[in-house]
Amino acid sequence: MIYSLAVPGPIEDVEEVRVLEWHGEAGRAFAPGELVVELETHKALVEVRAGQAGVLRRILCPSGDWRAVGEPLALLSDGPDEALPADAEGLASLAVDFEVS
Amino acid sequence: MSSEAVVKLFFREAIARAMREAMAADPRVILLGQDVGDFGGSYKEFVGLKAEFGASRVRDTPVAEAAMVGLGVGAAAAGLRPVVSITYMDFLMLGLDPLVNYAAKARFKTGGQITAPVVIKTTAGAKGQGVAHSQSIEAWLMSVPGLKVVAPSTPADAYGLMKSALRETGPVLYVDHKRLFPMAGELPRGEAFVPIGQAVVRRVGRHVTVATHAYMTRVALDAAEQLAATGVEAEIVDLRSLAPLDIDTVATSAARTGALLTLEEGQLTCGVGAEIAFQVRERVPSLKVARVGALSAPVSSNPVLEAAVVPDASRVAAAVRHLLQA
Repeated sequence: MIYSLAVPGPIEDVEEVRVLEWHGEAGRAFAPGELVVELETHKALVEVRAGQAGVLRRILCPSGDWRAVGEPLALLSDGPDEALPADAEGLASLAVDFEVS
Repeated sequence: MSSEAVVKLFFREAIARAMREAMAADPRVILLGQDVGDFGGSYKEFVGLKAEFGASRVRDTPVAEAAMVGLGVGAAAAGLRPVVSITYMDFLMLGLDPLVNYAAKARFKTGGQITAPVVIKTTAGAKGQGVAHSQSIEAWLMSVPGLKVVAPSTPADAYGLMKSALRETGPVLYVDHKRLFPMAGELPRGEAFVPIGQAVVRRVGRHVTVATHAYMTRVALDAAEQLAATGVEAEIVDLRSLAPLDIDTVATSAARTGALLTLEEGQLTCGVGAEIAFQVRERVPSLKVARVGALSAPVSSNPVLEAAVVPDASRVAAAVRHLLQA
């Protein structure tokens, strides 16, 4: 199954975030609890951790680019070889844990 | 992409960029304030400046606003270009004597022999912090001869107005707003300046002119959306500078629409809107005019009462409808 990793929220006052750093490239498998991506808000960092196992397949928003809360950042899948759709439209959301610091 | 002509930054980063460029270009530019050093500013708007320019040019001060502004004004008169950060505008009251009686008057009093090019950078507005941390009192200072007052509503203007403020020969009060800091926006990649004294039309419309500034520009734009749904086209003028006031831009718009609504977060009595309404009506006598501002009560730390006191988009839209029916 293919999942969309979206900018998590709500985060108080936050409309848009900038991707600071991806912790892995397409092909990396994440276990639950592993740090996938760090996001910058206007005053804080957001650590986004995998809430379920998955393989990072395609980064839609590279470091330095911006997304609004709820918009897709990447596609992940259960297995490493599942065919990917053209975009994140209609995909299930990847479970994530996130912490604002 | 680095090849693009614009770069997107958070509001705080736009301020930091203006400071960084000014400090790199001119060794006379220094920064004074509470938590401006290692902490990087109350809104992180000065992050990195101490590391880059050193503790002698980025100085943390005690909680002593009269001394901070006094120090800045004196240093300016002695040849530096200080930026004094006063975290909340409410606290600027303690520093008004050096700002109003010394900095603003220095050039007049000395026949131009002494000037005080100090920038007082402060933050206005209601955002859950109660009676003494929430005020928008920029109207108090619009009437001081020799003092310029600017109030950005976008990251690009935060950058460009600070750049211009740091080239002035006299003091500038630079007022941002707590609710602007979550914003991000595009800036020119290259160095740029926003002239002080030049308003900008943020939205074009033909039925009513709304003249506003700072965060209320966003409220006005939201109100314009509501009004557009019912066929009313509001033109939104963002003043950007309160002293000098760009009455030409407001009056030109109001002469075309025939109706002027002024909108501010501060008090209406002797407010920004009172001044604009009078000056525009001197030029456009047949104009319909109304004002929207805070209710005559302090901003409460109770969020329900705070929201009741300061204007919101629904109140602005209702005031426009009422004005156009009058």
